[in-house]
This record gives sequence, structure tokens and C-alpha cells, in this order.
Amino acid sequence: MIKLEMRKMLHTIAALTDLGNEINSSKDFDEVIRTSLHTCLGTLAIPKGAIARYSAKPRQLKIVAAKGLAGVVGQKIELGVDEVAKIAARTRPIKLTAERNGLAHFVRRNQEMFNKLRAHLAVPMIVQGELIGVIYLSEKLSGEAFSDDDLTIINTIARHIGLAFYNQRLIVSLKRRAEENRRLYKEMRQVYHDVVRAFGSAIDLKDAYTKGHSDRVARYSEAIAREMGLSGEELENIGVAGYLHDIGKITVDRAIINNPRPLTEREFKELNKHAVTGYEILANIRHPWQEIAYMTKCHHEKVDGTGYPQGLRGDEIPLGSRIVTLADSFDAMMTDRPYRVRLPLEKALNDVERNTNSQFDARVVTAFCRLLLKELNGASRERIIIPMIGLKFDRAQIVSQLEAIISQFEEISLAV
Amino acid sequence: MNGMEVKAKLVEGTAILYPGAYLNQLRGEVIEHRCQALLDQGVRRLVINFAETELINSIGISILLGVIETVNAANGTLLISNLNESNRELFEMLGLLSHLCIEETEERALAKFHSCA
Ligand SMILES: [Fe+2]
Repeated sequence: MIKLEMRKMLHTIAALTDLGNEINSSKDFDEVIRTSLHTCLGTLAIPKGAIARYSAKPRQLKIVAAKGLAGVVGQKIELGVDEVAKIAARTRPIKLTAERNGLAHFVRRNQEMFNKLRAHLAVPMIVQGELIGVIYLSEKLSGEAFSDDDLTIINTIARHIGLAFYNQRLIVSLKRRAEENRRLYKEMRQVYHDVVRAFGSAIDLKDAYTKGHSDRVARYSEAIAREMGLSGEELENIGVAGYLHDIGKITVDRAIINNPRPLTEREFKELNKHAVTGYEILANIRHPWQEIAYMTKCHHEKVDGTGYPQGLRGDEIPLGSRIVTLADSFDAMMTDRPYRVRLPLEKALNDVERNTNSQFDARVVTAFCRLLLKELNGASRERIIIPMIGLKFDRAQIVSQLEAIISQFEEISLAV
Repeated sequence: MNGMEVKAKLVEGTAILYPGAYLNQLRGEVIEHRCQALLDQGVRRLVINFAETELINSIGISILLGVIETVNAANGTLLISNLNESNRELFEMLGLLSHLCIEETEERALAKFHSCA
């Protein structure tokens, strides 16, 4: 007899351990619940049982798992407000067959359903005073009455399964919230980029000749940066700097910007202020804007130190600025200006080549040439530059010109 | 998931099933389905050989109860063989012995069936 008691205890402890492992597993939740029901039934050799989940709207118990019972999953049991409170207040399993179980009306009303479930016991699952569901159990296979120990074991198991439901509900609502946050974040980023683009267009409007300039500089800059192996936020910031590099021009007199004659010294000085003004406008905005602001400030620097406003050299100039400088100049060459018409592509590339290592960074130039070459060869899926510059050029001639520029500067740029 | 995952054989009209470790997990439900399929084919004598089932857990018990009910509902006869001492004690403790006939070995179970026939 002692041996059997010991066997019973081991079996129960093993069942509770299995139940804990099951509930904490990453398995499909329906599987967890069905396994938990088996564990509950197998602990005391109960042939039939079902688990119902409680929902407050509408107030009902819905059978979500059943064992040894056909056609009951999905069935619902309606509950009154007072009945919910009464069941939630129970700390022990309810004998449905008992005359004075305090739920006579409820049992009578659902007698047919309880017969279908072969329900002898109803075990409420309560977590923090809240009704989570009910486990229905038939009589034991042996036909013996449930002992006090049996009821304690069943209660413990019900608490475990109740917690599983409770946690699953928490996880589902957390997931939903995370999903919502992701969506909001995506929307915010969209708004952010729309605003940046709108600012870019506003800058372009000031100059009759630079329609679409900011947009093109942004696209070229991003494409060159990507070609140089940049990604993520760094790449994105360079694109934004491309849009906003001339934002300081909003404070420059429109007459100076649109002046078709060569500018006077005073006018030049006034125009050149736009790099610093742009920095001042952007620098007060939070991260990552400090970098964007500084890139804007440095977009007229030259790698040989002859640029403005600071006369920085080579790597002292942020990489983003060196990229924007080339994108900006290339687009300026390829579009009509008040004082000249656009240059042919061949001439523009000559200019780029001639100014490499004085105005332009050789690494940026070779990346730009590689990119253009890929677009011409069809090696690149995306075409960023070609659609903007038209098709009035000798393809073979441009290809060999690009290859020559690359071979001329690649070694130097690799050595850096 | 189908019943074919469970090892089984048919000897002179008696089905012998080897649940192994399958019994102790949710996948063990296939054993009950397999029994139902055999009963549907007209098999009425079943032996479950527990030689490869070390310690039956509560899931295993629950699934076994399902098998007992399925066989009873079809007026079949179920014999258990090769049950080790721990599992026999567990069956006794849970009151399963009054619902199950246990034979020492598969051969004895088969012999019992065939002497009845
Ligand atoms: Fe500028």
C-alpha cells in the first residue's frame, strides 16, 4: 500500500513537471492545451474531459479541447453575470451532480450540454480572481469517488492550465501592440521622408533653373554611397543630406541666385554663406541630424583644401559631404544654367576627371564611374543616373572613358 | 499525422501494436486512430506490447484510456503484454487492472487469444 501511495505521488509530480514544461514550451498553443488536458486526465485515470475558455464579451465558455468526447469542441455555454462571479469565487472543483452546489439553476439550464460532456466535475481556472475558463471532468475509470487529495491535485493542474491561458492572452496583446508600434513607426518614417522631400522642393523653387535638383542630388548621393558599400542609417542620412544640402539658400536673395551675369565678389560672399546657414538651420534638430547638418556645412569643401567655409582637406571632410559634392556638381553640369547650357556627358566626365583629387575625392569618383558603367552595361537592375541624363551620347565612347577614369584612380583610392 | 507511424503487425487475425515512446506524447493519439482503423477492418483482438515503453506518463495513461474505450465500444478484446513492474504498479494504483488483461509476453497473449478461438 505504501508502495502504491509512493507510485501515485511520483506519477503526480511527474505530471505536474510535464505540465510545466508543456506550458513553457514554444509549441502551438492549441497543442499545449490538448496535451495539458491529456496530462490532467491521465494523472487520475479520468477517461473523458474538456477544457472551456471563458470570454467576457459575450459572456460564455467555449470548449477548446476535448478528450473521449465527439463533437463538443466549439460548443458554447452561456453564463449570467452572477454565475461568473459565483464560479470565480470557487476555490475547489464543483460537483455538478451535487444537489446543493450553489449553481443549481446554471446546471439545470445546461444539463444537456453537461450530459454531452459526461461532466461530473467542473474545475474553474482562476488567475488573480479572474475567471479564465473551466475544466470539465468525467468520473474516474475506476468509478471511485474523487478523494480530497484528488481534488487538490486537480485544482493544482487547473491553476497551471489557467496560467497558460492567461500568459497566452498577454503575449497575444503584446504582439498586437508591437505590431501597431511597427506600423506607426513606418508611418512616421514615411512622413519624415515626405517632409525632407518637400523641403528639397522648396529649396529648388527658389532657383528657376534647379527644378528637381535636390531630388536628383539625393538619388545620386544615395546610389554612390551604396556603391561604396554603405548601408542603413548612414546611407539614409547621406540621401537626406542630398535633399537638404542647399537649404541655406532660403535666406539668400533670390536676385543673387537667379542672376544670369557673373556674380560680384560681394554677391559670391553672400551666396557662399548658404553652407553655414544650412548648418545652423539643421544643427538644432535631434540625432541623426547633427551629422546631416555637418554634411550640409561641408558640401562646398574641396579635398585639396581650397573649398569653403572651413578649407578642410581630404578625410577631414565627412564622406557624405564628399559624395554630395560630386552629385551636386555632376547634376549642375548636366542641367542648363542661367549662364550656359548643359554640358555633353563626355565633357562633364572630363571635368570630373580633371578635378579629381582637387575638388573631388578619388574614391567617390571611381564609385560613381563604376555605378554609371554598371547602368550602361545593364549589370545594375536599378538605373538611377541614366534616366536623368538622357541618351545623347556615344555609349562605347563613354564606357571606355569611364574605364579609363576608374583605372587611373582606382589604385590610388584602394591605397587610401 | 497518420496511424502508420505506430509499429504494428497482424498475426492470425490478432493485431499487435508496439507504442514505444509514442504513447507518452500528443502524437500518441495516432495509436487510438490506428486501433479504430483496425477495428473498422474487422479486427477484434488486439495486443499492446509495452516492451519498448519504459515509464508511462500521464499523457500515456490518457491515451491508453482512449484505446480501452475504443476497443470496448467495438466489442473487441484488448490484452497488454510485456508491462514492466513500475508500469504495472501504476496501472494498479489508477485502477486500470480491472479493465485490462495483462499477459507476461506477447506469445502468451497470442496463445490466450488462440486457445479461446
Ligand atoms: Fe550648395
